[in-house]
Amino acid sequence: MTKRKFLMSFTPSIVNEPITFRMVKDFDLMLNILRAGVDERGGKLVIEIEGKPSQIKKGVGYLESSGVEVKELNEYVSKDEDRCTSCGACISICPAEAFEMLKETYKVEFHKDRCIACGLCIDVCSPNAMKLEIW
Amino acid sequence: MTAEEVIDLVESRGAKEAAKEVDVVTTGTFGAMCSSGAFLNFGHSEPPIKMQKVWLNGVPAYTGVAAVDAYIGATELKEEDNMHYGGAHVIEDLISGEVLSLKATSYGTDCYPRREIETSITLDMMNQAYLFNPRNAYQNYAVATNSTDRILFTYMGKLLPNYGNATFSSAGQLSPLMNDPKCRTIGIGTRIFLGGGVGYVSWEGTQFSTTAPVKNGVPTRPSRSIAVIGDLKKMSTEYIRALTLHGYGISLAVGLGVPIPILDEEMMESVAIRDEDIFAPVFDYSVQSRSRKVLTEVSYAELRSGHIELFGKDVKTSSLSSYYKARQIANELKKSIEKGTFLLSEPVQALPSEKSSKPLEIRSKEGVKI
Repeated sequence: MTKRKFLMSFTPSIVNEPITFRMVKDFDLMLNILRAGVDERGGKLVIEIEGKPSQIKKGVGYLESSGVEVKELNEYVSKDEDRCTSCGACISICPAEAFEMLKETYKVEFHKDRCIACGLCIDVCSPNAMKLEIW
Repeated sequence: MTAEEVIDLVESRGAKEAAKEVDVVTTGTFGAMCSSGAFLNFGHSEPPIKMQKVWLNGVPAYTGVAAVDAYIGATELKEEDNMHYGGAHVIEDLISGEVLSLKATSYGTDCYPRREIETSITLDMMNQAYLFNPRNAYQNYAVATNSTDRILFTYMGKLLPNYGNATFSSAGQLSPLMNDPKCRTIGIGTRIFLGGGVGYVSWEGTQFSTTAPVKNGVPTRPSRSIAVIGDLKKMSTEYIRALTLHGYGISLAVGLGVPIPILDEEMMESVAIRDEDIFAPVFDYSVQSRSRKVLTEVSYAELRSGHIELFGKDVKTSSLSSYYKARQIANELKKSIEKGTFLLSEPVQALPSEKSSKPLEIRSKEGVKI
């Protein structure tokens, strides 16, 4: 079983399709909705999918064939290593514990795979090293 | 050795033996120091102007001094910009060699006829540019937390509701004034590492205070501080960094290191201080008062572990100053001393041995007793 996070974008034409239901029923996947929003461009959903790697691949394939734009989430949150001073202000803020103060070096490491793109670290980073471009 | 490396040596050999072996111990800190800014001299235009108001990239600088001298404060905000850019950014941009817009207005005099000027300038083009920071390298600091049910945006960062987190800001065992707690070797004229270049202690820092309770030889409240000066032209953005504290304002992260000569055994004991033995007070920053109650005291070792206990609750901690950079500074200073490119200086004047910090009361002229 693996967990991966995706940003799904819907055009208004497929908003009525029960795709999360199909993902659970047809592909045996566990879905955890992390963020959801609808605006004039349609709907956007940040979702964590848990399941067998092959099933996740099939599920994502189904989404894409239905006209949903799917992108893996960790492309959306980034840390500018030059701006980061390794102070650690992000550490106590992040609910997903995606930041780690490395014991030996006292460098702050960002674990992209743990990030849920909530955005809490963005304004807490005073040297402006964290960027989030989702919506 | 650095103030971190020396801890093990003193533990294994004792302070007396260690003092014979080590001549100098280096310290370092890198954190938000709002009380910072730079004096700049732009040179005279043709025809000349007596600058009455001046802006650098839209950020006002103080020019109520001579015609083309100005002081750009780190926390000054760009006009109509909603706290995204400020004096600290101007200072960082100058160091990185960027071209800045310079605008000034004036009323015009017989000797300074020009009434306005708009030009472009870089750090190299200025005659003088030096950091002059009235209060840096605070000896100890507060730990901030938040008892309310809303998020607070403070100079101690973002504080989550219901004691959701706690923030602190000190290099602890590496911090300059924690290693020489009575300022036996740090005084006016002490040569220091400042922002990647060389600087000097120029005065006692503002709000300098010696009255805090002491534990293991170190004050347990914000106490002493130093005013420092150094050539901006020799500094690096590696050690001077603009900060945006969301909902609070702009500040400047300053990298500062002080070498401490080991005069005797007592000095050696001081520099061997460990995070376990340095304590900081925890305050509830939702209390909007200058005299907040100390909730408890915690050690820097606990703070650095990632969580502390508050009212039986496990509270996550965050440092706002960078221990990584503090270490880098102490190491860099150590290397320069070894190479002979950084020479130690004896203070020309000691900092006050006793001083308290006064509050400001609202009073009428008649109410002041002289």
